[in-house]
Amino acid sequence: MENNNQDRDIKATLKKNWILFKQSKLGMTGLGIVIFFGFLAVLQPILFLTNVWDEGVYHPVVGYDAEKVARTIVECPDQYPTKDYQTREDCPKVDEVNIRYLKAFNIDGDVGDIYESNVQPAPPSRKHILGTDSLGRDIFSQIMEGCQVAFVLGLISAIIGVGISTLLGTAAAFYGGALDTYLMRQSDLVLMLPSLPFLFIISAFAELQVWHLAVVLGTLGGLGGSVITIKSQALQVKVKPFVDSARITGGTRRRIMFSHILPNVAPLALLYMVFSVTGAIASESVLSFLGLLNIDMSWGIMIYLAQTEGFIFTGLKYWWLILPAGLSVTLLAGGFYLVGRGLDDVFNPRLRRR
Amino acid sequence: MLVYTIKRFFEMIIVFFLFLIISYLLFNAIPGNAFSSLLLNPLLPPETYQRTIETFGLDKPLFERIQLYIINFFKGDFGYSYIYYPRTPIELIAERLPRTLMLFSIVNVIAFYTGFLVGKILAWRRGSKSETWITIGSVFSYTVFYPWFALMMLWFFGYKMGWFPLGKFLVPEKWYDSPYSSDEIFYTLILFTTVTSVFLFLIFIFTRNIESLQSRRNSRFVGLIILFIISAIYWSNGEASLQRFYAADIAYHMILPTFTVTLVAFAGTALLTRTTMMEVLKDDYILTARAKGLSQKRIRDRHAARTALLPVVTSFIFTIITIIDGSVLTESIFSWPGMGQLILEAVTREDIPLAMASFSFIGILALIAHFIADISYAFLDPRIRVKVEN
Amino acid sequence: MSKILLEVKNLSMHYDTLEGNVEAVKNVSFNVNSGESFGLVGESGCGKTSVAMTLLQLQPENSIITEGSIKLDGKELVGLSENDLRKVRWDSISIVFQGAMNAWNPVIKIGEQIREAMREHYPQNSKQENINKINELFRMVGLDESISERFPHELSGGMKQRAVIALALSCDPKIIIADEPTTALDVVIQDQILNEIKKVQNLLGLSLIYISHDIAVIAEMTDKIAVMYAGSIVEMGPTKNVFTSPKHSYTRALLDSTPSIKGEKKKLRSLDGEPPSLIDKIDGCSFAPRCPDREISCNPTEHMSLIEIEPDHYVDVCSQGKI
Repeated sequence: MENNNQDRDIKATLKKNWILFKQSKLGMTGLGIVIFFGFLAVLQPILFLTNVWDEGVYHPVVGYDAEKVARTIVECPDQYPTKDYQTREDCPKVDEVNIRYLKAFNIDGDVGDIYESNVQPAPPSRKHILGTDSLGRDIFSQIMEGCQVAFVLGLISAIIGVGISTLLGTAAAFYGGALDTYLMRQSDLVLMLPSLPFLFIISAFAELQVWHLAVVLGTLGGLGGSVITIKSQALQVKVKPFVDSARITGGTRRRIMFSHILPNVAPLALLYMVFSVTGAIASESVLSFLGLLNIDMSWGIMIYLAQTEGFIFTGLKYWWLILPAGLSVTLLAGGFYLVGRGLDDVFNPRLRRR
Repeated sequence: MLVYTIKRFFEMIIVFFLFLIISYLLFNAIPGNAFSSLLLNPLLPPETYQRTIETFGLDKPLFERIQLYIINFFKGDFGYSYIYYPRTPIELIAERLPRTLMLFSIVNVIAFYTGFLVGKILAWRRGSKSETWITIGSVFSYTVFYPWFALMMLWFFGYKMGWFPLGKFLVPEKWYDSPYSSDEIFYTLILFTTVTSVFLFLIFIFTRNIESLQSRRNSRFVGLIILFIISAIYWSNGEASLQRFYAADIAYHMILPTFTVTLVAFAGTALLTRTTMMEVLKDDYILTARAKGLSQKRIRDRHAARTALLPVVTSFIFTIITIIDGSVLTESIFSWPGMGQLILEAVTREDIPLAMASFSFIGILALIAHFIADISYAFLDPRIRVKVEN
Repeated sequence: MSKILLEVKNLSMHYDTLEGNVEAVKNVSFNVNSGESFGLVGESGCGKTSVAMTLLQLQPENSIITEGSIKLDGKELVGLSENDLRKVRWDSISIVFQGAMNAWNPVIKIGEQIREAMREHYPQNSKQENINKINELFRMVGLDESISERFPHELSGGMKQRAVIALALSCDPKIIIADEPTTALDVVIQDQILNEIKKVQNLLGLSLIYISHDIAVIAEMTDKIAVMYAGSIVEMGPTKNVFTSPKHSYTRALLDSTPSIKGEKKKLRSLDGEPPSLIDKIDGCSFAPRCPDREISCNPTEHMSLIEIEPDHYVDVCSQGKI
């Protein structure tokens, strides 16, 4: 009976919080972004399983598709500007190929002929919505793979981190004394470590998989500054009257901690969790960008490849190699951030408008 | 109070001690060592490797080495860098640090100021259209994938538009016959910037007590102009007029990195300011201020922002430690030879003395930052100031 | 016959909340003459503070004034721009808030917080003139001059409240609103503060709007009172008349629930039930469900409006029939 009531209470609270969350337009936008990327992450395996996509063509790592493109052979002039070309960079145009280039590879052809070749990276087409990279792999499929990596990593590390910091923070507040001192100094220590060089070291003696990194990031985050924040929240809860009344009525310490203090710290912890997903996604991308991770594909690796192959400074000519990956990282991290902000509005009445 | 301080101090020393040991163990755990590459060279006899290892004491057991290192550390002896032998880590840090400091202190001051300003406006214009757009912009720059963004900036402003250099902190051609080393110029620049900001601060402090708002603004303006004239005189006379050319070169190279990092760094402060300020705006004294008929700007700046400043400053000081993190990426993208690159090099090439020295430098910086955070908290909040005084 | 200083006519205001519209102020009208003290009394949540805030146009963002006008010295305040309102606030009308504890900005010295209001309204004054005036005000409310240089947290609750009164007087307003200025204080200090307010009011010839749930305090402080229930005024008249011959059942219930030291012993009566939720629009008499005289009384569906039954003594129409 009591359980039923509790269930109803929880349902009512959830409903009320949902109504509050819906008020925040940016929070809803963030949720929309997160759901969109979540959908992409789930979609890829489904496409492979239902054979809509052929793994040989669309696999993000080993797939290959040579896109044939017919180009006119032209001879680029020595002097610029000419009638057709303004500067040296304009020749050859997108649908043209320089005859000197063909000669260098011992390919026959005359000016004005049509030359059919593989294009890699191929621009977006019907078959490859976002084109292919320089190895003929589908960019859209890579983006979807990157989604999976980002979600797995972000969520696992956030859950580990928040789990650790909530437990330690509550314990520090509840037991105090030596435990408190120890935990606070420990988080000082973690805060002192420069995290990026630290991750370099870690990656130097262990080939990092996604879940390794998730554990490392989660532990670092969980032992660091968030313990202090959770502790201060727990301290505020600890002095509330209902905790005293639980103590007077003979609740055991552990029971008080788990059934009274933890639930009241939970909203803040949830908030931290959502915000720390943002950080985890960014960290993963940076490490992949620097080539330090032992994973096949992620958004960071896509940008790493684009940069090492020199496509970044071609600017927007090969935009599909540069923009989708960079924007995905930014958007998903931003989406989680906005969800966090929406939750902040729900849990912090002082931020509410009415 | 004193007991607490002493206790805290000892705890800090223990934490630092542990930090040193953990760092050393970490560096040691990396497979191979700084001289492993010697083994790969078939032309060198194998004894060479053995002898090098012995020279640098790497053959001793781990425990002994840690013991030695810590004893020497507290004697002030940091050993020699392996990769830059015979230079010491201190020399190397002294050379690189000013460059990082110069770049990032300017970035941080600008980022903090604009961030605070933007956050203030965000909280104040709550619910308006401009708030939504500024928020979206801030969230974008807060969560943007930084290396990607920096590369895009570099491509656009450096390559496409050609406005700024593509990296490095000077044009070598200009410095061939330079009578100064780049470090000297850096010191001059740092000194100049510091003195100027101190004067700016003084102008601000001294004009604070002027009663009329109008004359306060005017006197600040006059002060700024005088400062500007004085600095113009400084750069056109004596030795500074010779250094001007080189200083300008460095300053020119600083613009793009400064701009890029500021764009990314301001957002954190802005978003935090918004939250704290919105909480403050619900306080009763804001209502009093409105009832008193104060101008919107005054309520915002003097009443709301002043109180909201506290947590923002503390968190800002904490994030100063992350400068080093940021500098690793920034410096490698903009090829800026500062601390970040030094640490990266030391870590990847296992130059233990250099890496240890850099890490302990960061550690000390972090401890000082924590200390400053406490102090500034007390300085800004009279409620705490009184507690400390008693 | 003194002149009308503040004229509130048919003022209605509601809050737009998640649960729906909360009708906090319904069709409220009253006048305050210059030099007069006017009391607003009612239970917690009956809309007293909402009225006070609306008088200064300081109501929260989510409130909407649906109709009515507030004329101060002949000047309409409703719909005035924020910039024009700034000139009126504190200069003509000032307020002593409910919680003096939180009325001061914790990081600015007391004197500076008073001076900044004076700077806004008397830009021509020199700093010394302002300081002199603050010292004079402090003496008037019984505070030491050194308080100027203190931070709010260094003061006791009573001192802060006195300082708030000095703050309210700093720009020579014509009318002061005191919104439960003594609720957070103990009885002795409460009495001192009330005397201080009364003294200052007589000395400077100000009008006073005194808002309280404490009917005894109101009786002591005011010349004229209005009794509020569920957002409306149910009875209004000279304090003496209302106390000696209350006409509305709610006023009677309110008086019956207050012990009196003098006079004969009588049993205190308390009202059953709770004030209605203001979220739903109530047609007719909002007091009807709790009304002890319901049986003999009026038509509860009749809409509320005030009728003058004696000179200057108004009562809600639904109670009018049975007197």
